[in-house]
Amino acid sequence: MMPIWTKSGKKHAVTLLKVQDCHVLKYISKEESGGKSAKLLVGGKNVSPFSRSESAMEIFREAGVPPKQKLTMFNVTDDALVKPGTPLYAAHFRPGQFVDVTGKTIGKGFQGVMKRWGFKGQPASHGQTKTHRRPGALSTNKAAKVYRGKKMPGKMGNIYRTSFGLKVWRINTKHDIIYVNGSVPGHTNCLVKVKDSKLPTYKEQNKNPPFPTFFADGDEKLPEDLYDEEMFQFTDPSVTY
Amino acid sequence: FSCSACRASSDEKPGKFQPPPKPVIIDKLKQIEERRFLSPEFIPPRGRTDPLKFFIERKDMIQRRKVFNIPEFYVGSILAVTTADLYAKDKVNRFVGICIQRGGKGLGATFVLRNVIENQGVEICYELYNPRIQAIEVLKLEKRLDDNLMYLRDALPEYSTFDVNMKPETRLDHEEIPINKLQVRMKPKPWSKRWERPKYNIKGIKFELPEKVMKEAQKWSQPWLEFDMLREYDTSKIEEKIWKEVNEGLKK
Repeated sequence: MMPIWTKSGKKHAVTLLKVQDCHVLKYISKEESGGKSAKLLVGGKNVSPFSRSESAMEIFREAGVPPKQKLTMFNVTDDALVKPGTPLYAAHFRPGQFVDVTGKTIGKGFQGVMKRWGFKGQPASHGQTKTHRRPGALSTNKAAKVYRGKKMPGKMGNIYRTSFGLKVWRINTKHDIIYVNGSVPGHTNCLVKVKDSKLPTYKEQNKNPPFPTFFADGDEKLPEDLYDEEMFQFTDPSVTY
Repeated sequence: FSCSACRASSDEKPGKFQPPPKPVIIDKLKQIEERRFLSPEFIPPRGRTDPLKFFIERKDMIQRRKVFNIPEFYVGSILAVTTADLYAKDKVNRFVGICIQRGGKGLGATFVLRNVIENQGVEICYELYNPRIQAIEVLKLEKRLDDNLMYLRDALPEYSTFDVNMKPETRLDHEEIPINKLQVRMKPKPWSKRWERPKYNIKGIKFELPEKVMKEAQKWSQPWLEFDMLREYDTSKIEEKIWKEVNEGLKK
């Protein structure tokens, strides 16, 4: 994570996400998957073939691509069909877009109710007998049962969570790095899934992305760094009012 | 007289002129090894972060340093910082103070300046790479006995007062940075932190406490810490590489 300044002098915190060896592995049509839209299977980071199962290796062999550590599905419209085996780059996203980032949160193990759900607990003194971090009452008298989904102690973290509506500030095309506003679920160097935002406020903003994706051997030659309009670039002189 | 003597002994062609040997000039200034100062925020902390992240950050830091000069300074030097302030008259704000702490790594590196203005102690934490900073001038470049001068909060206010209209002190390029061995006198206890304890390892205070208190403080010493090998972080090789990288970047 890094600080970033706008042209008006405000500071924002930014997470760096690297697009490491991403390839499209398979196209699954709407009828095949039985869902509402076609899907694209995408693979992340390269990894040794010994760590992948045989069934997974078949998919990589079919696509003609080195074995990947993480596979994800993206719901795609029918006109966004991409040939399996095409590499995906960070320039697929542009500064000013809004994205949702999904990742597996840091595992905290078995945790009590105060850390897991933010309960207030009980006072430390004034006669409390052996009750300082307990949940207290579980339900009312009239209910005569404990409802399903009651917040209780249990395993915390190590589940998939998404941060919605994160602004993309900057794209580095040379090293394939996306600078995303705010924090992202997961530990350092973990694998995350970056999608166009599904929030209704950003529906129009995501209308003109590079479609279906950015092709490195295509006609478009991008500069090494793409910045958002509001972002302060270090080549400019200091901010004045 | 020497030319004719040479001709007689060597029997060369007559009239051949031997030019005198070139004088060798020993420049004593250049002989002194160039002092290398690498700002501490360039050194990456120990951790499992990808080195690519530090490389990208360093590129940004070098880019900023090309446009805006960040001078060399240490904890204990007196600086004047002018920032762009939206709500001030003239839209600029100038603050003079002694640097008591340098923290943070990478683009988020900060330094805290302390001064006493009209009997009120003021500390301001500035970010080195904040684009609102218009100028950083070093009024007096010197080092102190400690890396962290937070104890000046509990010292007598005369040690933290500096003239706001102080003139910058000129010094030669090749002199060693002077170390100010000042021992500061403190206000009566209680202090904000127990500075006499060995964990802070402060050398710049003149403790006027009774010997009993000093001996009591030594109970919290942890003499095994200096032998703990897992805490060792040798940065010499990393510093060499980063120094070369930063120099090449700045020259371009």
